[in-house]
Amino acid sequence: MNTTALPLKGCTLAGAITSIPPCFTPAVSSLRHQARALGVDLSHGAATSTSGVVFDFLAPGLDPIATHLLGWADGRPDGASELTVQAASGLMAVHGRASGGARPLGVDYVSTLAASLALQGSCAAAVGQLRGGGHRRVDVSLAGAASLAIGQYLADATVSEGAERLLPGCTSPHDRPPFTSADGVVFEMETLDAEPWRRFWSGLGIPGELAGKGWSAFLLRYAKAVSPMPAELMEALSRLPYALIAEYCAEAGLSICPLRSLSERLQDDDLPLLLEQGPWHFTPGSSGLATTGLGGRGDLPLSGLKVIESCRRIQGPLAGHLMALLGAEVIRIELPGGDPLRGMPPLVDGCSVRFDALNRHKEVCELDIKSARGRTELLELASQADVFLHNWAPGKAAELNLDHTDLARVNPALIYAYAGGWGDDCRLHAMPGTDFMVQAHSGVARQIARRSASAGGSLFTVLDVLGGVVAAQGISVALLKRCLYGEAGRVDSSLLGAATLLCSAELQALRDGKALAQPLVAGVYPTAAGLLAIECRDSEEVKRLRYALDYPLDTEPVLRDEQIVRCLASHDMWAWQDHLRESGLAASAVREDLSAVHEDERITPCLRTEAYTQAKSPWSFT
Amino acid sequence: MPISVSIPTLLRPLTQDQKRIEVEGATVRELIERMDNQYPGIKQRLLDGGEMHRFVNVYVNDDDIRFVDNLGTVLKDGDNVTILPAVAGG
Repeated sequence: MNTTALPLKGCTLAGAITSIPPCFTPAVSSLRHQARALGVDLSHGAATSTSGVVFDFLAPGLDPIATHLLGWADGRPDGASELTVQAASGLMAVHGRASGGARPLGVDYVSTLAASLALQGSCAAAVGQLRGGGHRRVDVSLAGAASLAIGQYLADATVSEGAERLLPGCTSPHDRPPFTSADGVVFEMETLDAEPWRRFWSGLGIPGELAGKGWSAFLLRYAKAVSPMPAELMEALSRLPYALIAEYCAEAGLSICPLRSLSERLQDDDLPLLLEQGPWHFTPGSSGLATTGLGGRGDLPLSGLKVIESCRRIQGPLAGHLMALLGAEVIRIELPGGDPLRGMPPLVDGCSVRFDALNRHKEVCELDIKSARGRTELLELASQADVFLHNWAPGKAAELNLDHTDLARVNPALIYAYAGGWGDDCRLHAMPGTDFMVQAHSGVARQIARRSASAGGSLFTVLDVLGGVVAAQGISVALLKRCLYGEAGRVDSSLLGAATLLCSAELQALRDGKALAQPLVAGVYPTAAGLLAIECRDSEEVKRLRYALDYPLDTEPVLRDEQIVRCLASHDMWAWQDHLRESGLAASAVREDLSAVHEDERITPCLRTEAYTQAKSPWSFT
Repeated sequence: MPISVSIPTLLRPLTQDQKRIEVEGATVRELIERMDNQYPGIKQRLLDGGEMHRFVNVYVNDDDIRFVDNLGTVLKDGDNVTILPAVAGG
């Protein structure tokens, strides 16, 4: 059996794959796409529910794993959808900090995340069963996925001392990256060091003081989802043609990438394989291993497994965090003296809450992987582990003699996982493979810009989070493959792969020359007090909205939206939320202040309040 | 010429838990040397091969010294120096 490209061949998804509540269409579409890419057969069934989708994950020789993909975590049938969960969870609020106020991301983000988490939970439960555990049901929700996504921002906003209070619209949607040239090209720039930034602006005649303020703003993107650039910097670029700006960038050592459309992305060589095989690339390693030879078990499916993580920032650490939430023991490699991110305020007990949000369940081992002694220690750790995960820069693993073949030599059964930026396309490796550059190149930024007041993507780290989830999913799949078929190996994933997954339905529709079905109503509307998100996926739901508003809404979208706004002016968002919910519609008040997210009983089950508000595990196993 | 220096939490074990210290120095480099005399070990945490460590930002009043004159940035009486951890990338 060739399981290289189809690692889960032999497994089946059975259940509510065709008959689904309309608001779960994007999640199920992504689920089907991911399952096919992994080689999972899809078989149809009839089980449906108003609170979500239920399917059985069937792996050879195992009891069925009932996977419940819900809207709200407690299964309440209260109008959960992509849009309403974005609104209630605070995701719109984070995105809105630099995008002109709370507004939709404009991509099926929560649905994609939840689909990925649902399949991942199924795979982990199957691994649990193969190790003697009794995991036969896993619950995942759109709300749980959204809470996980904004976990770091929640931590910042809810810590008792020094909490950030960054509300939607708190910074200009114009004076922030991406930038716009005189000839109208919208583009991102990136560097991880201050010096190229200083050289670039100095070349443009910008005083150092202003360039320095720009650098401080530039650094804020990753931590705070804002980047308030001095207007003078934006103006300087708006006076120059893109080609000249690109020349200045090359001279200064700054990377530059125009925001591309999905149509442009469709022309890329690497795209067909990413659409077919999903965001993972599985490379076979040792075979003939004992099929159930993973020791230890406990309450969670991966209890007793050991993961070594050598990752920085968000994507890799989030993948390790998810492994820990599945029960694995995660040992995090940090440089002597610790990860500098530990010191990013606000802090609790001397540790950054943003850092803690992704690393609180890990054991830390400080060693310098660049030293001979550090490498020896790392190999020793890897020889005792089940998974090794890193997100080093391209080429660094080979340079350090810590690539897959090096580690497989000391541990043939090891799963070697790489969470990268650009994936296999080496032509892109000259640019830092960071969230915002990949948003620009992949077409995600342009997709998001359609619904935003800014010229580009989100300053919420859309792809780092999805990339982390996808990386962890690849590891769970590789572990299941190892348990089922006795094959170890390597799994690569990337931010670009995650971006492709996020837009896979649009890309496939574009490729096939078909129009993608869009919700008939999907907007955020002002009420007498607060904003209300409403999503109607089909004409039946629009009919119910007309009835609930007691108004004959027009079919023309602009006119219809004006009519909705006029209707909603009579009551506040909470009153409308209740009223429309009673009509069976997906409607939600938009949560603008993250410090109050936990007050919403639809979100409460996803959170735990300790020194700061934490996102709980997105999975519940029984 | 005492300069007020704000110390980040992670370095406070080196400054006997003081959030703010007073040190003299005509430039940032001199300031760091004198801080290290008073609080040994702090220089090693701030500098890497004689330059500012890439994970550390130093501001004089509101200005990042990398965009002024780096360690040669001149200090004057009453200046506030702030040390903050900094990491680019996501």
